Amino acid sequence: MKFNFKTLGLCLAAGLLLAACSEPPEIAAKAAKRPDVAPYMGADNGFMTKGWTPGNQESWTEAINKRDQNQSEYYRVK
Amino acid sequence: MARMKFICDTERCIECNGCVTACKNENEVPWGIQRRRVVTVNDGIIGQEKSVSVACMHCSDAACMAVCPVDCFYRTDEGVVLHDKDICIGCGYCSFACPFGAPQFLSVGAFGARSKMDKCTFCSGGPEANGSVAEFEQYGRNRLAEGKLPLCAEMCSTKALIGGDSEVISSIYSKRVAIRESNGKYPGSNIFGWSTAYGPSGSPAPKPTPADKIPGAKS
Repeated sequence: MKFNFKTLGLCLAAGLLLAACSEPPEIAAKAAKRPDVAPYMGADNGFMTKGWTPGNQESWTEAINKRDQNQSEYYRVK
Repeated sequence: MARMKFICDTERCIECNGCVTACKNENEVPWGIQRRRVVTVNDGIIGQEKSVSVACMHCSDAACMAVCPVDCFYRTDEGVVLHDKDICIGCGYCSFACPFGAPQFLSVGAFGARSKMDKCTFCSGGPEANGSVAEFEQYGRNRLAEGKLPLCAEMCSTKALIGGDSEVISSIYSKRVAIRESNGKYPGSNIFGWSTAYGPSGSPAPKPTPADKIPGAKS
């Protein structure tokens, strides 16, 4: 079989062009993010309020409800 | 389970724009984006001028979620509608679908190119780790995870804007309406946007997105 440089060149060029259609690895990695964490699990910073236990949903709900109520002046002046 | 909502009392809002400023400052929202804004109608007409503070209402059947072609939205157990900016492609469909004009885009570069969508998160961040720097940079503060409520509502000087568990805040509002009525004032009993966002009273509560259905979540 006769070796054809022109055919080889075309094959290489086609291969290079097709490579542009592949998905870069960083996009695939980003799509595999984990789901959101519930707020009652607390935040990993120094701005947490006191009076509730991170990870305990009931204590978080209680703390939030207390803060909700504080938006009412009729409640605050009691 | 708490169902987080906002109420803006149009009888109390004085158009101070404190909520707008607080939101921008707390979340370091870039120039060109306003997650919250104050809209005034009948401006200058004595007795008829009303202002309302508007942001994402975290709707029960959110139109933005329905139209998103890449399904980047999800609803938390607390009823907050959030989105994943790593999945958003900035197409702008949500902006056209939203009845409150909540989704915002920065104009970046030439030919009207847009940034990824940005909107009110009810101060509960996004899918990054709670309270992390990555979460703050993309979505702003996660005050709910710190045991706080959204700053716009908490700092409102006239308490026109209240936010939190819908049962608690609606009872606060009902009490105000009753007191205004008993004092012979205009009660202002219509809550702006609630019927659009949550349907008529008695509508079923929305279901949170299951963990395995959150965009990009590992199954």
